[in-house]
Amino acid sequence: MFLSQILHKFELVKHNLTIRRGILLLLALFGVIIGGTIFFTARYARNTFVNGEYENAIEILTILGRQIEKNLNDNDKGISGDPFRFLQTAASVQKTQENFSFLIRDSQGIVLAPAFAAGKELPMTRVHWLTRDKGCCLAYVWEKECFVVFYPMPDRPLELVAVYDNDYMFEEVYHTLMLFAIVLSAIYLILVLLSWFWIIPALERTIDRKNKVENELNAARRLQLKAVTQDFPRAPWFDIHAELRAMREVGGDIYLCGMVGKKLSFVVGDVSDKGTTAAFMMFTISSYIRSRIQTGIPFDRLMEEVNSLICDNPEYEMFCTLFMGAIDPDTLEMEYCNAGHTRTLLNGAFLDQDPQLIAGIAPGYRFHTQKCRLQHGDRLLLYTDGVTEARDERRAFFGEERLRAWMAARPAGAGCREDCADLLDTLAAFRGKAPQNDDIAIMSIRIQ
Amino acid sequence: MKTTITEKDGRVVLAVEGELDTDTCPQFKEDIQPLLDQAPKALEVDMQALEYISSKALRILISLQQAVVANKGAFKVTNVQPAVREVFDMTGLAASMIQD
Repeated sequence: MFLSQILHKFELVKHNLTIRRGILLLLALFGVIIGGTIFFTARYARNTFVNGEYENAIEILTILGRQIEKNLNDNDKGISGDPFRFLQTAASVQKTQENFSFLIRDSQGIVLAPAFAAGKELPMTRVHWLTRDKGCCLAYVWEKECFVVFYPMPDRPLELVAVYDNDYMFEEVYHTLMLFAIVLSAIYLILVLLSWFWIIPALERTIDRKNKVENELNAARRLQLKAVTQDFPRAPWFDIHAELRAMREVGGDIYLCGMVGKKLSFVVGDVSDKGTTAAFMMFTISSYIRSRIQTGIPFDRLMEEVNSLICDNPEYEMFCTLFMGAIDPDTLEMEYCNAGHTRTLLNGAFLDQDPQLIAGIAPGYRFHTQKCRLQHGDRLLLYTDGVTEARDERRAFFGEERLRAWMAARPAGAGCREDCADLLDTLAAFRGKAPQNDDIAIMSIRIQ
Repeated sequence: MKTTITEKDGRVVLAVEGELDTDTCPQFKEDIQPLLDQAPKALEVDMQALEYISSKALRILISLQQAVVANKGAFKVTNVQPAVREVFDMTGLAASMIQD
């Protein structure tokens, strides 16, 4: 919604309803001030203009006045009783001075009454009243020509006191401006009323709802971060660190690590979806593994249990790839079981991993555990396919080769936390402006 | 990503071209929905021109396989290119799906 965009742009949504209404009132006041300014400026300009015109008219009067007076005298003394003839006289002057009308008063300064021209009422387009120290006068303007019509009093000689501009242009502009100012103020008022009683409360409700959903998702994210290991195990013979980057608020990637007896155990997995449903599944699986792994159950059995756990919930329509491993500190023997997960890297080469099915598609599938002997100084990297399938702007994959090269180039003395940070930076640099297209989980282990 | 479904004597061939990744998965799922709704007796997924498959797209293949098998039909994936083959191997699906 447009209004919502404006409110967001000015960060009005941050404030509460009262402050927002206050800001709206200020905006309304601003609108009224603008409208009022136009209104009064137009009025002032118009009055000044008309008065200025009056002064000019006085000058023209001296020329025209004499001419009309001469005309009047040239006709006969009976003019004062014959409005029609006076009308003729005035009109004839009008022809020589287009766009002017006349203000005429009698010698006593008394307003002269309008009359009929040749017995016919004049259609009037404008009537101008002017009050000057010399008295009140009336002028009628008909179409573009001016007629001054009255019954002159017999004992009062007529006196022409002003000539008035007949050009309506300014009048029209003035009226348009007035109308504009009034309409502007009215629209403003309507907008303010609408906002006050309808739009703002509606917006408030939308924002509330949005905040609620965001809060829920943030809570879910915090919960999910609790589902993965927070406090990494420490011992002199190894270093371990892992990072999780969900594409949305929550995701389906998972990592766990901890001591089971004297062994270092670790799990990295990927639920085959993104978003909230994947997060639910991931949470279920991680809770299950957490509680079962402590019993020292062999990985092949545990994998089969996880397999049936997912198979028993077909409504999720998901599967999960998992890598589980445990290292014995005395022999440095590593037991591991890979259920369709990405191939774990050992010192920049792939660990030997038998292909096994993904967990959650074949009920009763038999998994098996593999073993290998590690050495001091060995480095392991576990990751989800969000790493190898990261794409750059040209849609090229990061791929296993780049990952292998990255790991081979990592210095021997670096810590696992630095490894993770460096890999995330490397991925971000590779992606460039392209967005993250999948959840990412990485785990680095170094045998000291 | 492009899919072509052809039928001949009750045997259905689903040819997939291009890349099956996170972005194209929804389109792929939509394309094969008719096959899921009415599973054919024999379905061959021809991957001759498929350059890449993400593990996420496997989920859809698995549901397709399950639908066909549930209908007592025969499901097979053929002409798999090396890069795609690797994903099948890694996820352990090669044995049950691929027929060379």
